[in-house]
Amino acid sequence: MTSRQFLLIVAIAQGMLFVALVILIILNRWIRLRRRAKVNPRQIELDAVMQRWALGQASQDEVLRALARLPVPIAIDALVTWSARVASERWQELSRGLESQWWARAVRANSRSARWWKRLDCARFLSVAATPRDIGRVRQLLRDPHPAVELAAATTLERVDSPVLVAAALDQLPFLGPTVQAYYASVLKRARPAVLRHLQHLFRRQGDPRLPRIVEFAGRLEEPVLREPFTTLATHPEAEVRTQVAHALGKFPHAESVAALGFLVQDEAWPVRAQAARSLGMIADPSTLPALREALRDTEWWVRLRAALALTRFGAGGRNALLEAEVGPHAEARDMAGLVLGLSLQALSEYAA
Amino acid sequence: MSHLIQASDVIILAYFLALNTIYALLLVLSIPEIWEQTRLAEDEDFQRLMQSDALPPITILVPAYNESATIEASVTAILTLEYRTFEVVVVNDGSKDDTLERLRHAFDLYEVPRTYPETISTQALRGVYRSRTRTRLLVIDKENGGKADSLNAAINASRFPLVIAADADTLIEPDALLRLTRPFLLGRRIAAVGGTVRVANSCTVQDGRVTDARVPRRFLPGIQVVEYLRAFLFGRLGWNRLGGSLVISGAFGLFRKEYLIAIGGYHTTSVVEDLDLVVRLHRHLRREKVRYEIPFIPDPVAWTEVPETGLVLGRQRERWHRGLIAAMWEYKGMLFNPRYGRVGLLAVPFYTLGEMLAPVVEVLGYVITGLGAAFGVINMSFALLFVLVAWGYGMLLSLWAVVLEEVSFRRYRRPGDLARLLLYAVLETLGYRQRTVWWRLRAFFTLRTQRRVWGEMTRKGFATS
Repeated sequence: MTSRQFLLIVAIAQGMLFVALVILIILNRWIRLRRRAKVNPRQIELDAVMQRWALGQASQDEVLRALARLPVPIAIDALVTWSARVASERWQELSRGLESQWWARAVRANSRSARWWKRLDCARFLSVAATPRDIGRVRQLLRDPHPAVELAAATTLERVDSPVLVAAALDQLPFLGPTVQAYYASVLKRARPAVLRHLQHLFRRQGDPRLPRIVEFAGRLEEPVLREPFTTLATHPEAEVRTQVAHALGKFPHAESVAALGFLVQDEAWPVRAQAARSLGMIADPSTLPALREALRDTEWWVRLRAALALTRFGAGGRNALLEAEVGPHAEARDMAGLVLGLSLQALSEYAA
Repeated sequence: MSHLIQASDVIILAYFLALNTIYALLLVLSIPEIWEQTRLAEDEDFQRLMQSDALPPITILVPAYNESATIEASVTAILTLEYRTFEVVVVNDGSKDDTLERLRHAFDLYEVPRTYPETISTQALRGVYRSRTRTRLLVIDKENGGKADSLNAAINASRFPLVIAADADTLIEPDALLRLTRPFLLGRRIAAVGGTVRVANSCTVQDGRVTDARVPRRFLPGIQVVEYLRAFLFGRLGWNRLGGSLVISGAFGLFRKEYLIAIGGYHTTSVVEDLDLVVRLHRHLRREKVRYEIPFIPDPVAWTEVPETGLVLGRQRERWHRGLIAAMWEYKGMLFNPRYGRVGLLAVPFYTLGEMLAPVVEVLGYVITGLGAAFGVINMSFALLFVLVAWGYGMLLSLWAVVLEEVSFRRYRRPGDLARLLLYAVLETLGYRQRTVWWRLRAFFTLRTQRRVWGEMTRKGFATS
């Protein structure tokens, strides 16, 4: 074949591809229009039936029939949307009713699919329609290699009370990125009793590398039962654990918390000192004023800022401490006191956030 | 002479084949990528995520220089974005007009002391202001130092771990921030995320939001719609699978602040600060052996006004190419350097040998073909066939971008807009492409004399309904 013939063949192939792409664009529009015309009335019908069912004016069978008439992904979307609007007991009845539906069985079977989007459909479905019989499936989806599937499966924890799932999610927690951890924390709050039991168990593993993340999550729960384990961890050899402890203790105004924070505000690591100063401000115990005055002279800018902001929460005593520092001999404490005293109330509240 | 022409022809042909093979690869790789991104975008339950306190807080950095006419509307639009925790830091970069006064009046600003250290050094600050009506707003007034300097000043003032740089003349879609954080929610080790920038010319804008997306009837802005689609929907998506793009648009990109601070923020000497920043980010993270990703996700959208005249467009393209040449020269140590992984072995060589040198090779190709025809070394009909195939390939790439848009996001709903997209995809190669080659070629000549010159950009402003 000559190079001219080769180029001719390429040119002809290009021309054919060009025509094919234009046809593809036009066909795509046409198919989408047709599908929308077919599905839209069914969606509207489902919304109407759901509304009547939520008010007790339609039977569950009508809802199930309307759902079955929709393409599966749209039916799942509708379930996700309506799950937030219907009372929990009534929704559980619907979840049980869905167990016998052919399409729901097919969606459940997708939990083992090789295609991630099928597993995602299954996880989204189970996040609103799981029953106790789905615990094994959800547990498996919680360990899914695709993060979107894992995240959707974690949402199931909001609806299904299961110590097995809680334990699986908490075991997974330390390996997740900070944003995903925060999401897990928000869904795990619902299953508080089971979470607390498992956390107390995890706190005993002092040498566990996952401990900083577990403590961080536990701090988010603001659960008084956990105050004692937190104070025990104040002397943990790892600075990150102590930072998380210092952060969490501010939510527990108690003599033991104050004692632990008084110790942590002198820690060798500045992030621990900064968090401890912040937490002392949240508790605002007058006996800790000397410790915060000292922190105002810290070598680290952030510790001085946190100490100065904490002092503003002590009322007259804290303000006097700042005014004294503003004219005192320590230059850096003077600057920081001047800076914080110049902040408006609104700016102060924004900094405290 | 004839041997020289023939040898040059073979080299240009090989270059053309290699470059187009990479484009074909990007095209193929963009298919699974857009499929995954579309599925994820459609499956998200945004209401649930909005209510979750898991979303990372974001600081939006808005540099403003002589933006008096639009600053109030832009900042108001940014302040009304749908996101749980964010702050907006506007930096008045020593504007000569009344930008600061406008802001002071519109948002009831009051001066506050500076409460943060100067992590990245910038031009002197004149004042820091908060708003009595919008607690999320912080305004910094500083001496003029350019866009990069303003962004650095805003980074210093930002409180949150993620920052997004937005131009004051860019319209960010209400749910774009939420969509941009998706990779963080999917637990990936993200250093930065880029979103799509689309052309706002001819679109209807209401309260700082694009309510009706249109493809401009005017040739120059219209053809840029196709260009932007091609750059974002298949170029950058394809690079997601090849180790990450070297470009995150300066008008719309989310960055992890700790990494920006580690590399010293934006370079004030660069005229294409976004490219320079991302290349340095790759270099730093690879050197430090940090596991990271810099993905592009197509569904978060920001709209920007593109130049409508050849003069302004030429200046813009010349500046972009000058920035590209300067960056590739500055970071030449990364070229084919295995230490930088796929970025050093694929992305930097592509941008250097492909994007940077393409206008030179293309012009050389035209010149040598002409010479060859004049000396009778090249068969004229063969040369014409070759040029036709090359142009046809360009058309196919543009058409593919339209296909990706149609099967995924379908922002342009009207049949007339679709017809115009198809028409521009065809016409782009005939004349317009050659003009861009000339503008980009000019950058090689102005590189030494105008290295830091931006060139004046005139904008019409958004048409509001």
